[in-house]
This record gives sequence, C-alpha cells and structure tokens, in this order.
Amino acid sequence: MAQREAPEINAGSMADIAFLLLIFFLVTTTMDKDTAYLRKIPKKVESKIQPPPVEEKNIYKIVINSKQVIQARDSIIEPEDISTLNSRIKHFYTVNRDRKTDRALDYPYYAFGTKELYSNNLITQQNRLDALENRKVIDDKTSKMIDQTLVAIEKWNEKLEMMNLYTEFSGKKEMPEIAFEAHIRLESFVDTDYSAYVAVQSEVQRAVTELRDEEAMALFGITWTAMNRYIQQNKLEDTPELRLYQEHVELIETLYPLRLIEVKPKR
Amino acid sequence: MSKFRKKDGKSAPAINTSSLPDIVFMLLFFFMVATTTKEIDPLVKITPAQGVGVTDLTPFKQRSTVDFVYLGTPIKGDASKFDKGVAVQYDGLLHPDGINYIGKWKLAKFNDKPAEMTDPKENVITCFKADEKVPMGIIFTAREILRDNNFNSIAYSAAEMGNKSNYSIRVQ
Repeated sequence: MAQREAPEINAGSMADIAFLLLIFFLVTTTMDKDTAYLRKIPKKVESKIQPPPVEEKNIYKIVINSKQVIQARDSIIEPEDISTLNSRIKHFYTVNRDRKTDRALDYPYYAFGTKELYSNNLITQQNRLDALENRKVIDDKTSKMIDQTLVAIEKWNEKLEMMNLYTEFSGKKEMPEIAFEAHIRLESFVDTDYSAYVAVQSEVQRAVTELRDEEAMALFGITWTAMNRYIQQNKLEDTPELRLYQEHVELIETLYPLRLIEVKPKR
Repeated sequence: MSKFRKKDGKSAPAINTSSLPDIVFMLLFFFMVATTTKEIDPLVKITPAQGVGVTDLTPFKQRSTVDFVYLGTPIKGDASKFDKGVAVQYDGLLHPDGINYIGKWKLAKFNDKPAEMTDPKENVITCFKADEKVPMGIIFTAREILRDNNFNSIAYSAAEMGNKSNYSIRVQ
C-alpha cells in the first residue's frame, strides 16, 4: 500500500486557546509589588537589672504627636517639612566622624579602631581563655566565663577581619566606628496616623541608605543598595561574588548601623 | 482602457493569521513573567502610606516567609462595630477580636507549615498593610503580642513614592 501523507493539523484555534490563557492570567494577577520597611522587634528579656542609662548625646529622639507634628530633638517640624529629617539624621551620624578633638558635644562620638588595637584585644582574651582552661577545678562559674571569653574572641576576630577589609579598600589605617549606644528613638502617640509614622520610617531609611551608598561607592565602586539586591535575588546560590558582597555589606552596615528603637506609645 | 480595472466582484484575499498564535503567546509569557498572583480579596479599604527606599517583599513571598495583616475600615458593613472603626483582616476573614487575635493566627499559620519549609519563628515576617489613617496604637498592641510569641520580624507596608511627590500626611 502506498504511504499516505499525514493530514495537516488545523492550527486555526491555537490563537483562541492562547487568548484564553492570556485573559486568565490578566484577570488573576496584579502588577503592583508588595513593598515594605523591614524591622525587628527586640527580643523579650527577663531580667530585673535596669540597664545603665544611655547618654543624651547618643540618642536622636523623634516624637510624632496625634496631630502629625514632629519633634526631632529640640526642633518642631510641621508635617509638610518632614523631608528635612533626612539631612538632620545624616548630620547626627556624620558630625563627629572625622573629629578626634574638638568634637560636637551633643552628638555621638566615634572610636577609631586600628589593627594593633584589635590584635591586642584578641591576644588578651586568648590569654584569659588559656588561664581559665588551665584551672584545676572547672565549675559552673568558670565554664560560664569560658563561654563569655569565646564570644569575645569571636567578636574581636570579626572586627579584625573588617578592619583588614576596610584598610584594603580605603588605604586608611583607622576605622571610624560610631558609639555602640548611638541610636534613633522613635516615639509616637496612640492616635498617630500610620502614614506619618511610615513617613518618618521612610526618612530614617533614606538617610541611612544614602550614607551607606556613598560609603560603598567610595570603597567598592558599587552601591550598598545594588549589592543588597544582588544578595536578596541570589540568596540560594553559592557564588564567590555573593560571598564577596555579603562581606562588603557587612562592613558597610558596621560603619553605618541602623539602630532604631520604636517606643510603645503611652498616650 | 483604464489602468485601474474594477475588480469584478472578487472578495479580498484572506489575511494570513498563522502568526497570530505566536504574537498572543508572546503577550501571554510577558504577563506570566511580569505579574504576581493576587492574594485574597481585600475586605477592608486601604489607601497605602508612601515612602522611599522600601524593600521589595517578592523574594520573601516566594519563600512564603511573610504573612499579611490588613487594617482599615471595612468595605461592607458597619465600621462602628469595630474597635476605633478599624477592622483587621486575617487571610479571608475579619475577626471580631480584632488585633488581639494576631497571636493565635500567627501560631496556627506557623504550625500548619510543613516542617522542612519553616524558617525559625523569629524570621517569619508579619507585614502590616494598614490604611494611612490607622492609629499606631493598634500596631503597637500587635507588636507586643508578636514579641510575646517570639515572632520578631515585622514590616510596615508602604508604596514606593516617586522622587517628586510629597508624603500624604493628614494635617489637622
């Protein structure tokens, strides 16, 4: 029997099917993304010991009242001038950054870490650990102290690594570190609008992001925002670039930490 | 003899539509890539607050490590039934307990997830999608409940604002 050619399939309804799918997707999906400010709630601590009070100069206090008027330290900011907060917060961070003497007294001081300082601290802690481990009786108290020393050693090791990274890219021998207590304290009233609160969050975020971006651009030639986006998108892969960016981001975030304390409203 | 001869009743030749499916498929794929699936239908009215430098939550949504709480005036029904006129929507329902239900809801959601998918409790984000007029007191109540249950990550939802426009804050 002669071989018959297969009849061509009629593809005329293909377009209809595709249109159907297209319209289904148009209806069930949205274009707008969910965007938000990520924040952490501090862990619950169950200790009765009151922590020592933080010095006034290390606090940048922002209060929003129920009429959406903002008080930032001693100045009153009307809701329409809220965008001036950006430069105020930047000023709070940077005013003492390059000063070792003649510092602005009302703003957080900077410590200048060096490689020698961190190495010395590391050696001190190491010696302490050796002394503790050589004790004849290791009771609860001693093992607790050993744990503490191990934590301290890890901390100084991290700092030393960051110092090395900073020196490598900036050529400077000293790393400026803002006082560890320095923070922004955000207070609101019970009746404060969500939009006003978010606007202040936005200004804080903007100020810190701009500072970080500038620093990252000067050190690594790429902004902090860009590195962060890369990390977020390639989180599950293990590329050398990812690890490099993670280190860089960590350094930038140590140089400009975002420490925001949100206080529960009392009124 | 005229150059333009009148066509003698012949119909126009059919347009070739064989590439139409290709074009439509192209559109289809574009929309499949560029959009995200809608969440549940909102039961409360939300005008988003605005801000700059917001974080995109899409990667967190893909890993399903974010839960949304919607706060605003209800679209249907009487707003005065709710505390301060603010209804709280969890997934598909407006709970009569309002914000005080958030702890139970979060725990139930957390326990429902398969064991290999769960992030540690403190990394599961609770995102507040609140209307711009929602008073902050409610959100701080929620924060307190979340802290007591060790859910330490939260997010304040905000729409990305262009460079030129201003914050929309109610002046009184």
